[in-house]
Amino acid sequence: MPEFFTSIGGLIAGSFLQDGALWALRNIPGFPPIIQTVHILGIAVVMGSVVILDLRILGLAVPSQKISEMTTRLMPWLWWALASNFVSGGFFLFARPNRYFNNPVFGWKLSFLIPAILLTLFFYLMSRRQHDYWELNSKRLWAARGIALLSLGLWIMVAMAGRWIAYMEYIYFPA
Amino acid sequence: MMELLHAPFWIDIENWPISWEIGGTAWFPFLESIHVIAASFVVGSILMVDLRLLGLAATNYAITTLSKELIPWSWGAFIVATITGVGMFITRAASHVVNPAFQWKMFLLLLAGVNMAYFHFRVYSQIQQWDTTVATPTQLKVIGSLSLLTWSGVMLAGRWIGHII
Repeated sequence: MPEFFTSIGGLIAGSFLQDGALWALRNIPGFPPIIQTVHILGIAVVMGSVVILDLRILGLAVPSQKISEMTTRLMPWLWWALASNFVSGGFFLFARPNRYFNNPVFGWKLSFLIPAILLTLFFYLMSRRQHDYWELNSKRLWAARGIALLSLGLWIMVAMAGRWIAYMEYIYFPA
Repeated sequence: MMELLHAPFWIDIENWPISWEIGGTAWFPFLESIHVIAASFVVGSILMVDLRLLGLAATNYAITTLSKELIPWSWGAFIVATITGVGMFITRAASHVVNPAFQWKMFLLLLAGVNMAYFHFRVYSQIQQWDTTVATPTQLKVIGSLSLLTWSGVMLAGRWIGHII
């Protein structure tokens, strides 16, 4: 792990962020499974927004829906879900910062998540600039298909890596 | 009922060679991650139909069109979630059947299924009158809300299983 990355864990450790997160996880009854469920429901919205849109662009799902209309309608749901997942994920990250920032799988998750967000944002912004930007001609449509395939892979890997963080912890931090 | 839950049969399942293979290797986390992805896809695709039933989203599409195009995806993902779920279940079958979170999950899955069946077999045939209207009748709103609640409950109970076992 690069040093700048692991040092972020050191910055959070012992701060009010860690104290607050640990307090909530330890004192609110049922808080860990509840907040994890909120996190998974956020992933469900990721599936129901960008993943379905990707499947539509690839010609696999919801043929009666128009790409441009779907983009405008579904993207706000994605941004809210991501905001919610930053908060729900934040509780676990802040509670045990060193475990996350020393865990290579957490590094992989971010290396899938950041490009996934940037790619989706790019797709969304071009669509906002010009409503039918991605459907204007066959060249644009093929570009959109390439982006959709990459986006689909990235979002699936984000969820996959997320689940493996806990398993890697057993290897790197045997309790 | 209690006898059934404590039957030696569940221990036998845990001792199947395939149960040992899954439980003792990277197969388990692999199945679990596929399970999470498939389950969130089930909820994400059903969520779209539920919000339409509540008149809150996708109101420019007919309810029947949304159902026809999305529910087959929900079923496909549900089958994947079931296969991966069974794969994890058999590694600790005896503990799962007596785990309250697991029991709640199965009960809520049943409720979600009954709600879906009611919609499909009792309401769907008369849907023409509200198919394209933004405002939906109370009956459809109740079905949509129940679906959201039961599926969220399935997720919560499912996540809680790991905190008890």
